[in-house]
Amino acid sequence: MTAVSTGAAPAGESEIDPRLALVLALGDDELVIGHRHSQWTGVAPHLEEDLALSSIAQDEIGHAVLWYSIAAGVAGTDPDTLGLGRPAGAYRHAILLERENRDWAYSLARHYLYDTADDVRLRALAASDWGEVAEATGALLREERYHLMHARAWLTRLADGPIDARQRLADGLAEALRDALGLFEPLPGEPELVASGVLPAGHDELLQRWLDGISADLERVGLERVLESGTSPPSGELVATASGEMAGAAALVHPHVVHSGGVWAPVGEFSGRGGRYGRHGEDWLPLWEEMTATYREHPGARW
Amino acid sequence: VVTALETAVRAAIGGVADPEMPAVSVADLGMVVDVRVLEASGRDGARVEVDLVATFSGCPATAMIRSDVTAAVLGVEGVAEGDVRFVRHVVWTPARISERAHDKLRAFGIAPPGATALPVVGVGVAVVTCPLCGSSDTVTDSPFGPTPCRSTHYCRDCQNPFEAIKH
Repeated sequence: MTAVSTGAAPAGESEIDPRLALVLALGDDELVIGHRHSQWTGVAPHLEEDLALSSIAQDEIGHAVLWYSIAAGVAGTDPDTLGLGRPAGAYRHAILLERENRDWAYSLARHYLYDTADDVRLRALAASDWGEVAEATGALLREERYHLMHARAWLTRLADGPIDARQRLADGLAEALRDALGLFEPLPGEPELVASGVLPAGHDELLQRWLDGISADLERVGLERVLESGTSPPSGELVATASGEMAGAAALVHPHVVHSGGVWAPVGEFSGRGGRYGRHGEDWLPLWEEMTATYREHPGARW
Repeated sequence: VVTALETAVRAAIGGVADPEMPAVSVADLGMVVDVRVLEASGRDGARVEVDLVATFSGCPATAMIRSDVTAAVLGVEGVAEGDVRFVRHVVWTPARISERAHDKLRAFGIAPPGATALPVVGVGVAVVTCPLCGSSDTVTDSPFGPTPCRSTHYCRDCQNPFEAIKH
């Protein structure tokens, strides 16, 4: 692969409007997972799934446009520029979403973990004091029901076996869980967002709600142990995409999940910096190059 | 009081077909939220503002619908300016589809939304009536069809696959 200069230091902590950080994180998550899902188009295991993943991808990218249109109002730009015109280090999606699709089981495990997390935050944002954001959750929650239904159906189907399917699902869940808590990395300016009512619940509260929900699903299929194995202390594999202001910052370390007193709960705190600050893994640059190639090659093109 | 111009504008909008289901209009599908005809706004003619709601926010046809509605509005004599936009303060649901559009959809081979629960992936729950033979002995194939707003089904009576509008 040809190296491309992105001209980008990671977004860092420098003076971003916390509200912009919030809607960019939401939009970037949707854009990047939408792009990954779209890579199943034409090669999914069967036709219905080809359509399902393509349709979910289309929904997610549509949702990204919606968040970008709100972000554009704050940033004084337009949704296309935000979606495709930023340097790689300015994207604020969680690292989980940029990972390659690997196999079908990993893709479905990630789809399940992401859409359950998205559901938790959308429900919280429905009560946001930022009217535009609260408004947007109406349509999104309605549409995301189908994604959740799809993800849960596959969780059950693969968990029911045969044994190879169940094993691959367990492996995929454990693998995806290594990154999934990064979805709850505190946003730049989170205390301000919570205090102003824009974000009605902070990351720790959202994380616990998510764990309550997925642990119930996983217990139902007898795979709850992956919560512990998948989130056990990280191996420090994160690679920053560019040097610059982030050079000295440590990679994101997230809490791990343990079963205690009948509930699954996080132990430890977030430290270092991850996707919410523009710090990404090694799969991001190739994906960014592919995603933005046409936009970069034909600036201002219309069709 | 509805003026003649407003009546003409509404009729023009009512004539805009849905790009993906041309048997029905965007108005039939409940996508028109509000129409405002501002008659005294300019010397050359009225300014018309139209608020639309997308069936699904990722629908790729929205840009085409917007330009079709804009063209229809500007085609009305006495209109100088059209501003058509998609709004988010209204959530589209199939309840917005007009009753008469149900028949048009059936004739087009697409089942209007059923009155019952959501289709469930991989589980044969009958939720919609077959638009081809009227049987309710149908199964849901997938909630993901050829467009974001359509699911796919199979009729066990007439043994045909068909599509339905999603809830």
